[in-house]
Amino acid sequence: MRRFFRTYLPFSRAGVQMMLAYRSDFLFHLIGEMLMCIVMYFVWLAVFESSDGSTFMGFSMTDMTVYLFISFVTSYLTYSDGAIALGEEIRDGSIVMRMIKPVKFDMTFLFQELGGRTIEVIIALVPMCVCVEAYKFCVTGSVMFNPVYFLLFLLSTVLAYLVSFYFNVCYGFTAFFLKNLWGSNVLKDAIISFLSGSRIPLAFMPPVLQSVLTFLPFASLSYIPVMIYMGMYDGMTIFKSMLLQAFWLLAFWALSKLIWRLAMKRLCVQGG
Amino acid sequence: MAARHEAPMRARGVSGVLKGIKRLLKMHRIFIAQDLKKLMEYKVDFLTGMLGFIVYQTINLIFLWVIFSNIPALKGWTYEQIIFIYGFSLLPKGIDHLFFDQLWNVGYSYISRGDFDKYLTRPLNPLFTVIVERFQVDALGELIVGVALMASTVGSVSIQWSVLNVILFLLILPFATLIYTGIKIITTAVAFWTKRSGQITHVFYLVNDFAKYPTTIYNDVIRNVITYIIPFAFTAFYPASYFLTGENPLFNLGGTVIAAAVLMTVGVLLWNKGMSVYESAGS
Repeated sequence: MRRFFRTYLPFSRAGVQMMLAYRSDFLFHLIGEMLMCIVMYFVWLAVFESSDGSTFMGFSMTDMTVYLFISFVTSYLTYSDGAIALGEEIRDGSIVMRMIKPVKFDMTFLFQELGGRTIEVIIALVPMCVCVEAYKFCVTGSVMFNPVYFLLFLLSTVLAYLVSFYFNVCYGFTAFFLKNLWGSNVLKDAIISFLSGSRIPLAFMPPVLQSVLTFLPFASLSYIPVMIYMGMYDGMTIFKSMLLQAFWLLAFWALSKLIWRLAMKRLCVQGG
Repeated sequence: MAARHEAPMRARGVSGVLKGIKRLLKMHRIFIAQDLKKLMEYKVDFLTGMLGFIVYQTINLIFLWVIFSNIPALKGWTYEQIIFIYGFSLLPKGIDHLFFDQLWNVGYSYISRGDFDKYLTRPLNPLFTVIVERFQVDALGELIVGVALMASTVGSVSIQWSVLNVILFLLILPFATLIYTGIKIITTAVAFWTKRSGQITHVFYLVNDFAKYPTTIYNDVIRNVITYIIPFAFTAFYPASYFLTGENPLFNLGGTVIAAAVLMTVGVLLWNKGMSVYESAGS
């Protein structure tokens, strides 16, 4: 175990350093993503002002705002660049550098990205949660922060990130067939934003669709942690949901190993 | 736009300028032909890219549909009117994406890596070359959805498609497109000083998301920003609302023309200033 961390922690340190070196990129990216969130906030505000009651399909405007911003920060943190990074390395051949060293390819990617994520949690998640709680306090006039739910939310977010990571590793292998990773990434992100409920809460979908989508791996990426944060799930549902996340994590982990094996037989790097 | 700078020194007068423009148009056709050849080489990629943008827009539509299945109108705008505005917003965005996509790469990497040098060695205006170098077929996804949405509202929104309005519509599109292009040129030119500006372009570009909905849903600050500072509201909501209501043609359409002219002028001036301080990263 100690050896394991001694091998892979330097990758995390590299991740942190990369993050700090390109800090303006990160900040601009965060601001850009926030803009979409602000647009959605105003759209929802207009929706609530245009509708008859004070709730919209069981959500109040306060719920909706919390959902919007927590869902935004969760999807942001659990987003994994693994697909693009792996794809680029397969294409330009630098993947061999990971193959000839006595390290596991997925762990090197994982630890490198985790380094950057630690910084993001500090810069993005903490202030966002403080703002959301302050907002809730201003609107409702009482503190409703539940540390147990918050810890479960964090745990569920970590699971969500790992599911996302291994899903993206599997997806990254499409680089064997496609050159236009940008386009296929737009396609993937669009589908995920819909199926994961980050665009429209799954609770707004027709019941049949809702139960299907909740079981699919995409709900594990952000919807489950957000629902836990908002206190929408009871104890039993939380337990089941996290079990589901663990199941998908295992499934994508196994799949990525399988594809890696098959892919290594096919991999053909030109020159060097 | 770039033709003014491009006219060869020896050619003067109107015929010279015309010759210059003709040459540029010919070059543009050659660039497009090159990209079409690439397209034939990577057919699957082309389809995924286009499908990606179609799916992305379709999901936004489902979102609107969910909302409108519960409320009759959004701040006085009906579902069909919102769809019309939304479809309208995709046209200038798609045209800019289709023809002028290469600017992104300049801000993201060409200047910082020194790849920009290649434009300086060619007997063509660098800005013109950068702008037209890539013909990005992914954008067809946006254009197809945009046209389909606007077509789907025919009959359900009260627009008089008189000859005048059709002409105005066709005239306003290039100006709305140049608002996108102008903002991209300005933010890309920043890279001549900072080496990289792709992320700045990205942030400014994303502001276009605000333009898809009526500006009346926003607060004063946001409304003023998207009208006067980063005028994306003139790429969609304002011109579209003229066609929907027939009100304020001077502001709704005139504003688009003025915004495009100002942004392109500032963009070209800043670009030329930037070129004069450009130092290759060398390697």
